[in-house]
Amino acid sequence: MTEVKLVVQRFDPFKDVKPRMMEYAIPGREGMTVLDALLYARDYLDHSIALRFSCRQASCGSCGMKINGRPRLACYTQVAELGGGKVLAQPMDNFPIIKDLVTDLESFFEKHREMMPYLIRADAQEMEKPSAEYMMKPEELEKVLQFTYCIKCGLCTSSCPTVATDSKFPGPQALAQAYRYIVDPRDEGGEKRLELLDEAHGVWRCHFAGSCSFVCPKGVDPALGIQLLRRYVMSGKAPRRDGEGAKVWTAPVTTAPQK
Amino acid sequence: MKESRLMLVQYATAVAAVALVTVHLIMQGVIYPYTTAISYNNILSVYSNGWYAIFLEVLLVVVLVHGFNGVRIILNEFRQTKPWTTWVNAGTILAIIVTVAYGTRTVILAVFGGAPA
Repeated sequence: MTEVKLVVQRFDPFKDVKPRMMEYAIPGREGMTVLDALLYARDYLDHSIALRFSCRQASCGSCGMKINGRPRLACYTQVAELGGGKVLAQPMDNFPIIKDLVTDLESFFEKHREMMPYLIRADAQEMEKPSAEYMMKPEELEKVLQFTYCIKCGLCTSSCPTVATDSKFPGPQALAQAYRYIVDPRDEGGEKRLELLDEAHGVWRCHFAGSCSFVCPKGVDPALGIQLLRRYVMSGKAPRRDGEGAKVWTAPVTTAPQK
Repeated sequence: MKESRLMLVQYATAVAAVALVTVHLIMQGVIYPYTTAISYNNILSVYSNGWYAIFLEVLLVVVLVHGFNGVRIILNEFRQTKPWTTWVNAGTILAIIVTVAYGTRTVILAVFGGAPA
């Protein structure tokens, strides 16, 4: 592979007035990802490039950024798939820039936390100290499965036009997670979440642009989750439990024998 | 009012508006040729039919509620402060009341033979 022209948007909010572009020539190789190129630039050409990464295998969601104008994971995007020409790396939209390609995801995680992304049980004692494992049917799992693949990379939120204009909008990630727990038959906190979403800047502000689903690297369809969620928000009731979901447990949990 | 109720109103008025505006356009563009449909005398004659006057009043309410509620939604996306939301919501209600009242006045006057010159 020939040389790769990597253009990185540089911006330090404490020093710079506006972002600037810097170009680096990277020796290309087969299978090179944008993250590989960025790390080469940082390690051998310019130590001051700031970027966030961890697993290098699209599992941790740390290296989300805008590559050639589209939100992607740098570790999951090969240079070759970008069709030649320059590779442009920019920070994700809709998030404050900490430095260069590193964005502040605090508001993103805060909105995720607001959706109470955990199982809520009416029997608080059971929730604290489960006596057995909660079961769900395969068809029930099917409803939530794709939403459990979310790695919280923030790409969907960075591509959302509503998040760009409405800072109180929870965003596609948080809404999809709210849906994920509301339809989970083991959960009993659906109404609490629905109440949270039924306000002026809640679930109704989604314009169904679908860009969130388009950019998700894990194949999650947050736009679908949001549309399905609206049905429950409109009725104010979480899906009816038929008594076979949350109540079917396996044998009681036993503690592991002491060695 | 909960946002879901307001959105239900928005969806219901959208569906109703499609039906009502379609009938209205057929009446004004097909049954009566458009060039004559908007003449002053022809418009007044339309109101002589009580059912059609009621239809136009319903159309007025549906379109105004849908339109102003839509503007409320857009304005609420501009800024997210509580005072802004309060003012926008209050302004929307006021705008609907004023415009429906003014439109209703026109309908009533037309039913009784038109506004005084």
